[in-house]
Amino acid sequence: MSDRSQLISTGKPFQYDQERDAEFERLVKRYPMRESMILPALWLIQEQEGWVSQEAIAYAADRIGTFASKVYEAATFYTMYHLQPMGENHICICRTLSCWLRGKQEIVDYLENEIGIKPGQISKNGKFSLEEVECLGHCGTAPVVQVNGEFHEDMSMDKLKSLLATLK
Amino acid sequence: MADKIKLFVNEVEVEVEAGKNLIDAIGAVGIEIPHLCYHPALGADGNCRMCLVGIKDGRPPLVPACKTRAMEGMKVLLDAEHIKKIQHDVMEFELINHPIDCPVCDQAGECKLQDYYMSYDQQGSRMTVPQVTKGKKLDFGSGVIHDQERCVVCGRCVRFCRQITKTGELGAINRSDDTRINIFPGRPLNNRYALNVVDLCPVGAMTSSDFRFKQRVWFLKKAPDICHGCAKGCNITIDHNRQKYEDDIIYRFRPLFNEQVNGYFMCDEGRLSYKQENNGRLTEARTSNNPRSINEILAASTKEIERAEKIVIALSPNCSLEQMVTVKALSDKLGATLTGYSEGYIKQGDGDDYLIQDDKSANRAGLHLLKIDNSLNTFENAMQEADLLLNFNNELTLSFEKRELSRLLNDTKVIAVTSHDTPLTAMADMAIPVASYSEYAGSVVNSDNILQSFGKAITKNIDLDDISIIAAKLGSPLQTPAERFAALQQIISALNEFEPDKIPAEGLNLNNSEAANVTA
Repeated sequence: MSDRSQLISTGKPFQYDQERDAEFERLVKRYPMRESMILPALWLIQEQEGWVSQEAIAYAADRIGTFASKVYEAATFYTMYHLQPMGENHICICRTLSCWLRGKQEIVDYLENEIGIKPGQISKNGKFSLEEVECLGHCGTAPVVQVNGEFHEDMSMDKLKSLLATLK
Repeated sequence: MADKIKLFVNEVEVEVEAGKNLIDAIGAVGIEIPHLCYHPALGADGNCRMCLVGIKDGRPPLVPACKTRAMEGMKVLLDAEHIKKIQHDVMEFELINHPIDCPVCDQAGECKLQDYYMSYDQQGSRMTVPQVTKGKKLDFGSGVIHDQERCVVCGRCVRFCRQITKTGELGAINRSDDTRINIFPGRPLNNRYALNVVDLCPVGAMTSSDFRFKQRVWFLKKAPDICHGCAKGCNITIDHNRQKYEDDIIYRFRPLFNEQVNGYFMCDEGRLSYKQENNGRLTEARTSNNPRSINEILAASTKEIERAEKIVIALSPNCSLEQMVTVKALSDKLGATLTGYSEGYIKQGDGDDYLIQDDKSANRAGLHLLKIDNSLNTFENAMQEADLLLNFNNELTLSFEKRELSRLLNDTKVIAVTSHDTPLTAMADMAIPVASYSEYAGSVVNSDNILQSFGKAITKNIDLDDISIIAAKLGSPLQTPAERFAALQQIISALNEFEPDKIPAEGLNLNNSEAANVTA
């Protein structure tokens, strides 16, 4: 594990856009305790901004009515929350059993080579970031790659090349 | 008394209180189960695994004692080989990333890691990989300094801020071996009880900026006392030390457990009020601000008292019951007007619903018990005619503007019997220094009507008399401690059951007995 405690400040106050605001209010009714909204609230932030800033954590805490330290705990505990801006195209490669057996390493090696970064890094021009993730739930169509949340299944090298071409 | 049950510890039968967990129940009879994260005020968290014990009744071989209730006939195993092994192993885990900086750590000497290492571990490090490094001397605010590397992540401080103060400033950030305690950026510790996390921390991760690097704790002498910072009367331990060629100095107050008064905690203001015991003290007798010997001033004061026609005697609401009753007897003998007027000690709205009280004096309830008048009217009217004010440590400048006070004291001789060198002392014609509360024994009644006794904790190089002795020297009929106690027994019937110095440590709740007394 690594230290994720250093939050990045944007220097600007955070706020949900209209759509996320409505979604927050819809979700909050689901739970008997408002604190249960910590994880969904962080997801909404990441969906909107692509990452979670210090101001966004403070916003979520105040919006939920809980301690900022609690939201800070959750955001640093779960590595799926990005605490820094990711690349314009954030590429996730599944590394769990089915995808591994069906050749995820080939995909990782190719992307590393083409983009010039390792998983966990962001390209210098800010266009790409790579991440190896745990099971994405598409084992039947492994190996699977996710670009900005969109699934690309049954990846072969040919499909990967044409996918990358559309992103560049 | 709570029900008793019998159980077996290492096959020896012991009798313990029912309804408690194993740590508390067995701990109360002197058998320690090692633990880091459990604290009676914060509940069982079960995260440190140091309290694992065996119970021979078919359940799994190891159970956390903090989460296991003591039951009749339970067979608890503490010294079995597999228990010793797990304690040994847990300690090894705890120390993997510990910096072992005991020589510069304030906690050394009162550190659970040190104690448990000596009791349960005693092995060298087997680590060959680099240690995880974390933040050092982080300023968490409110005088709390944090060292993340010393931390064992027991979460006591986090739980304190969430459960007790409900301010939630602290959190356990990251996970696994990178977990560390932190504040959210820009939201530091901001509550009036924050320094309790320093006491709660079982290791040296939380230190007080006020105390750190001042003293090694094994040099400190400990004495129980009662905080005089407000009307709550929190029980405290005074940690003090007389260094070679120096005076006896107080280095810190720490809360002392008393279930019916303050529980395990105290407020920061009270904790730091030890400084007022060290500093700003009056140590020499004075007349018109010129130093004189105490005996000279006492003789001069006696003459003034004999000469005066109308005397007003003012008492501080911080005085002990013993002092109040002695001064009251003096006042009765002299036919003086006795007043405890001290409105200035009350900070309206400053208190909270936990420990802090509006009233910043320790024994106002005592004034009421002894039926000492504390109305402004009586005081002002009596001052109109008075030609002598004999003031026992009542800091009138708190209750009056300086100009108004000068007007009141006009044409009146002022003898100030005082522990501190205050603005009033400067205005007095004569000043007699007396002991402050850490330097005398006595009893006070708190805002919940609980009478608590305290002993003499500190003996200064100049061992000053306390107010009751000075009052006796000025002619009070109550000359000895025994006479004072007997006089108090006349007023407070609950004291009749007790010898002086034998009042129970948890205090006497006067609510029942005295209410009955008043109606009768």
